Amino acid sequence: MEPRFSCTACGKCCHGWLPLTLADAVAHAGRFPLAMVWTPVRQNARSYELATRLGATVRLPNRKTVAVLIVPTAYLPTSHPCPELREDGLCGIHEDKPSRCRTMPFYPYREEKDQADLLIPRKGWQCDTSASAPVVYANHAILDRKDFDRERGDLLDQAPVIQRYADYVLKYMPWIVDELAKLAAKPTGGNLVTSLSSFLTATRRPDAVEIAAAQAPLFRAMAERTRDDPALRDYHRNYSGWAKEMEALARRK
Amino acid sequence: MSSCPCCSGRSFEDCCGPILAGEPAPTAEALMRSRYTAFVRHELDHVERTHAPEIRDDFNRGEAERVAEESEWQRLDILRAAEEGDSAVVEFQIQFRKDGKDMRHHERASFRREDGRWLYVSGEVNPKGEPRRVVKVGRNEPCPCGSGKKYKACCGK
Repeated sequence: MEPRFSCTACGKCCHGWLPLTLADAVAHAGRFPLAMVWTPVRQNARSYELATRLGATVRLPNRKTVAVLIVPTAYLPTSHPCPELREDGLCGIHEDKPSRCRTMPFYPYREEKDQADLLIPRKGWQCDTSASAPVVYANHAILDRKDFDRERGDLLDQAPVIQRYADYVLKYMPWIVDELAKLAAKPTGGNLVTSLSSFLTATRRPDAVEIAAAQAPLFRAMAERTRDDPALRDYHRNYSGWAKEMEALARRK
Repeated sequence: MSSCPCCSGRSFEDCCGPILAGEPAPTAEALMRSRYTAFVRHELDHVERTHAPEIRDDFNRGEAERVAEESEWQRLDILRAAEEGDSAVVEFQIQFRKDGKDMRHHERASFRREDGRWLYVSGEVNPKGEPRRVVKVGRNEPCPCGSGKKYKACCGK
């Protein structure tokens, strides 16, 4: 049976982390509090080869090589809705929304032939997968592939910048390799988060000051919103710390 | 007179004070100490201007300001300092508290002197020990014990 899928605009997937292309992260820097999310992909994983092209490759202390996806991400707690999700459940920036939102439920960080399970709605999601919904995926191929190809293309184009960032972090924060090794050894996988300030410094973007100035108030506001929730203590600490980092960077000439 | 934050036992005015104010550090170790003191006193300009030019753009000033501010600096220990002409290596350990946890930073840092000023060039965090070198002594060579005899007739018997 060919999988069918139609979005019902339930807004359930508009919560928590949102992986962005670098171009989208910069374009929406005044909207989303950003962080860099690192996800090791092991050599025996189906998406390993693709991950080596989209991300960086890192040699671990055990002499194994892993691919690492390093993705600029709208860094929101899982329970938090996207700041642009309106009361009526629709998107406040539908015309300009990021590639990631357009391509859902497909996911270009995985091979095109390996997308079928993404069409199964997650718990609580109200996606329409009934016979009345259109066929969107057939013979392991995406039928309307415009958004998928655009997002994948942007990810491939930005890969050299991501590799440069990885080189910087491995040089100046060498202990991250041990953390990546730990994550890679876990059967469930996992990820770690680094600051946007390290990315701005590593890539020497000429617009770093503007991006930092846009980010600082977002981090401040999120620090405030997460202050009293013990479950979000790590988020709160990151938000407050990164707010200071962005304020310091924004003061640079 | 306050004692210098770098744990030298001298007063700030006789130790890191003048270096933070812009005087050249007399030794690489003195520069290292003054860079630590700059973190303690939140005077990050000093840290930034004592970076070698090739790494200046790699300095994450935002993060450094945050670390300086959020950490409770406890002590600096210089484990080893060696200068040779215009280059030097200083190995040090810093103890500090951050987010309620006791932390240690152990680094072997390289320095270079340019126009009479020491600059921080690079650092290896949690450095590995120097590789052990094994020198093979030939049987007919003088014995390394200094006896003057051939090795084979002395310790190599």
